[in-house]
Amino acid sequence: MSLLDEVVSVPRRTMVLFFVIDTSGSMMGNKIGAVNDAVVNVLPMLEEISATNPDAEIKVAALEFSSGTSWLYSEPKLASEFVWQDVTASGLTAFGEACTELSSKLSRSGFMKSASGSFAPAIILLSDGAPTDNYENGLAKLKCNNWFKAAIKIAIAIGDDADQNVLKEFTGNSEAVFTVHNIDALKQIIRVVAVTSSQIGSKSSTAGETTKQEQVVDEIKDAVDSIDGAEVATAVDSSSYKDDWD
Amino acid sequence: MSELKKGDKISLAIGGHITIIKELGRGGQGIVYLVDVNSQQMALKWYLTPPDDAFYQNLQHNVQQGAPSDAFLWPKYLTKKEKGSYGYVMDLRPSNYYEFGNYLLAKKSFKSFSAMLAAAMKICDGFMMLHRFGYSYQDLNDGNFFIEPTTGDVLICDNDNVMPQGEKSGIMGKARYMAPEVVAGGIPDKYSDRYSLSVILFMLFFANHPLEGAKVVACPCLTESFEKKFYGSEAVFIYDEKDKSNLPVRGVHQNVIRRWPIFPQLLKDTFREQFSQETLKNKNNRLIEQGWQKIIATIRDSLVICPICGEETFVDLTQSEYTCMNPNCAGKFKPAAILKLGLRDIPILPKSSLYIDNDNIPDAKVVRSQDDQNLLLIQNLSASPWIAETPSGKIKTVEANGFMPVKVGIKVSFGSGNKAEIIQ
Ligand SMILES: [Zn+2]
Repeated sequence: MSLLDEVVSVPRRTMVLFFVIDTSGSMMGNKIGAVNDAVVNVLPMLEEISATNPDAEIKVAALEFSSGTSWLYSEPKLASEFVWQDVTASGLTAFGEACTELSSKLSRSGFMKSASGSFAPAIILLSDGAPTDNYENGLAKLKCNNWFKAAIKIAIAIGDDADQNVLKEFTGNSEAVFTVHNIDALKQIIRVVAVTSSQIGSKSSTAGETTKQEQVVDEIKDAVDSIDGAEVATAVDSSSYKDDWD
Repeated sequence: MSELKKGDKISLAIGGHITIIKELGRGGQGIVYLVDVNSQQMALKWYLTPPDDAFYQNLQHNVQQGAPSDAFLWPKYLTKKEKGSYGYVMDLRPSNYYEFGNYLLAKKSFKSFSAMLAAAMKICDGFMMLHRFGYSYQDLNDGNFFIEPTTGDVLICDNDNVMPQGEKSGIMGKARYMAPEVVAGGIPDKYSDRYSLSVILFMLFFANHPLEGAKVVACPCLTESFEKKFYGSEAVFIYDEKDKSNLPVRGVHQNVIRRWPIFPQLLKDTFREQFSQETLKNKNNRLIEQGWQKIIATIRDSLVICPICGEETFVDLTQSEYTCMNPNCAGKFKPAAILKLGLRDIPILPKSSLYIDNDNIPDAKVVRSQDDQNLLLIQNLSASPWIAETPSGKIKTVEANGFMPVKVGIKVSFGSGNKAEIIQ
């Protein structure tokens, strides 16, 4: 049976799940505690999705931003090897700098250098406030990045002070912004968003017209209905008026 | 979103109820629970979000029709719509069956080539029966198949998306398993199922994808638009005769590089034909399930036990002397005789199992006589007697479990119109 025993795993692509986490001062306390708790708990779920998936393996990267930015690890790691270090909150909200930093790593010389190739990444942005820096340039540059363009992008707005318009600009779509109003909802939505975007992002796309981004958003929407204190962003879209009235 | 908990009772559409015991697993669409149905343990697939009424009616129809064959883990009962959703009940999957993905990830492997061929035969049979019932599968992919590694027996799961042909369930399969015309937005049908069948069979035999070679691996980011090209508009078979742009890559596509040379030419020719540009684009050229079954039966005829090393080997039936494919052996040997069955030439060698039909149950086995080591016998493993005619015209009955000698000139009738002759 030697010829059959020599079988090796099919080559798998890599799908990197990015957590981009606002760790500015306003996140201090319960909010950042809930983020830490939720991410630690979701990692084993991602590990399981990855282990049984013949299409791709899932790696995780995390970028925190406050007055500056910092990656938790200098490269994406398998969920099984990703030991979460609790992040702490203080300082400002250098969102523009975070966009620039993310863009620099969304490249083959950065984090996307898997030998057997990648699927488009999934990027989860969590924020409870508004940028305190001049974010437009950083975000505009990020939006030109091809990896970012192809990525599944979901934003979680924590509370009413989060700048919905910025989050919407980041995801490119108001439907991909989900708002939570309490700590439990925050924990639940992090789990749902991370699991759903990993499940869909790490598999060969479905035939037909719906995009991965649309499928992820639809599934999260269904889940959000049953989470108390979570909601889809209001459909009021002010961005189209912006240019006219500036 | 609606989840159930231990002890919850759900009513069945036909009356009566089931009781939730525990969760067994969950996927994108729903949760599978272990349930009690009249003191019998079964599985309930419960949708997190209830699909529409048409989906419910389709399920109801499928439950009433019953499973096309025993290869399907088919919906047996439908629940009423309650607790915010609904689901269906099916038999439990035995624990010795493993998801096809586990074979692709090399976590499980077939115990023999014979088991691998049995799995291929069973999958073809399942699809043939499915299409005979007028269904198409729609979202076929590696997650639907569970395989027993020793026997190669197969269970086809997730049959809730089985639809009458021409209808669209809305739940689409993964691009890498779908026919180019479906990737381009077409409606799945039995022709696209046949394409998916070829992909599944290729992956079963070679443990790599038929369209994923140099061209695909060179793509750093497999975005959805690239997938539409590689599995749709610009699909190229890795061993395409004319287009060498997508050959398997050493160090990446190791399995197919190692296995492609050892499988019989017939199988390789069939895949080359099925994944040729002509067939990719013309769905009418795709081999029907019975066509695949004939090919697999012939491949199985060429699988024998090497008398020198005792391992399985494929042999070239067009040659009079065979060479063992195992690199450590490479021994040469000849068949004792050939059983000519219609167009099939089945080599007779000690320890060979002979398959007359396609049901994966060996109908005969070649053994050595205990009295005379030089005499080979064919044992009747079927439940009914065979009628044999000796070269001198005597008629003999070979009872179930009985034996007949391997002697050139004997004609034998296996029943069901299958007649064969032993030739040199
Ligand atoms: Zn040998």
